[in-house]
Amino acid sequence: MVSGDAYQEDEVPGQVKGGDMARRSETRKVTVAHAPGLHARPCLAIVNTVRRFQSEVTICNGDKVANAAEILEIMSLGVPQGTEVTLHAKGPDALEAIDTLEKLFVDNFGFES
Amino acid sequence: MLHQMELVNGKVTRNDQSIGNVHVYVNPDEQERRYLIDTLKIDEHTLTSALDPDELARLESEPEHVAIIYKRPRNYSSEEEFVFRVASTGLFLFADKLVIVADDMPLFQGKAFAKITSLQELVLRNIYSSIFHFVEHLKVINAVSESLEDQIAASMQNKYLLNLFGLEKSLVYYLNAINTNAKLIERLKHSALKIGFSAENLEFIEDMLIENSQCYEQAEIYSNILTSMMDARVSIVNNNLNWLMKTLTTITIAIMLPTFVVSLFSMNVAIPGENNPLMFWIIIVLASLSVLAVRLVWWWKQW
Repeated sequence: MVSGDAYQEDEVPGQVKGGDMARRSETRKVTVAHAPGLHARPCLAIVNTVRRFQSEVTICNGDKVANAAEILEIMSLGVPQGTEVTLHAKGPDALEAIDTLEKLFVDNFGFES
Repeated sequence: MLHQMELVNGKVTRNDQSIGNVHVYVNPDEQERRYLIDTLKIDEHTLTSALDPDELARLESEPEHVAIIYKRPRNYSSEEEFVFRVASTGLFLFADKLVIVADDMPLFQGKAFAKITSLQELVLRNIYSSIFHFVEHLKVINAVSESLEDQIAASMQNKYLLNLFGLEKSLVYYLNAINTNAKLIERLKHSALKIGFSAENLEFIEDMLIENSQCYEQAEIYSNILTSMMDARVSIVNNNLNWLMKTLTTITIAIMLPTFVVSLFSMNVAIPGENNPLMFWIIIVLASLSVLAVRLVWWWKQW
């Protein structure tokens, strides 16, 4: 995990730079509604979701940035309920990755039916 | 803090307006404790046990209720440094109500709590959800352990090894908790008549025994793998450090020899060739040859 800017400012979310599909980037803000926050099981659900995509996905909580494919990093974020986090994806399937991840957050990581 | 819940239409729903049949006490204060002990006649020791993470799971019969203490995984917090701990929860089943005492709010959500027909079933579903919770945490422990292994492969620090020790410790806590839950489920099965379990409830208890046993075996396998591989991981970290030391030694020797050659010709005495205008370049060539010599010896000795 690193501290600093969540993503490079020169990237325009949703836009393809220079016609290169591999550099597509998407950013979205979501609020963690799940009562215990981002604890162990939601973290695993996030990792399992992100690993299905080719894009690099990061989760930012304030100045902390974590690679969403690395469970050690997400678990170290320590996100409580009600926190707004920023999801950022960069890669050929960035939009799909962000949509799926956002749905996971909205569905409370599949723990509540 | 008291949360009034109600079992209506097969679901547990929050109802703080009226007195429901499911009372959830999260970290009860002194006044609530006195109410539970004096009015509901809950044994003080059993009530304390319900909030004690080190207490074993057990079943106790009292004149007006049945006290059940079961173990569940505690929600992971980032301050724990990859140590997963267990917590206890107390279920006090009365004829007309269920009192739950815990250190955090049970969720009563998900498939396990979709269709509850009685308070007895709610008791069983709570214990079942803890088994499921253990299984899910075991998956997380496995994922964390794999990630730590990747980090250890390139690490020279103790940090990740200490994290792995933390995971080992967690699995010992989990094994103990799952084992003690198994004894509790057995006792529930044998006390079915006294508690008022139906035939369906008994069938569910049998399923719980199997699920719990599978969960125990899974935890045991993970624990054995972590323990048996720990020595190998310690060796990898040592080996990484040895490689670094070797590289540093190579650099030191490679610099030392040309420094020696140059310092020989820097003495404040008469030096052969001191009047030679090409002597500077000769010394540089000699120093470079010494570096080459070190490299050749290194290659010949296969260090």
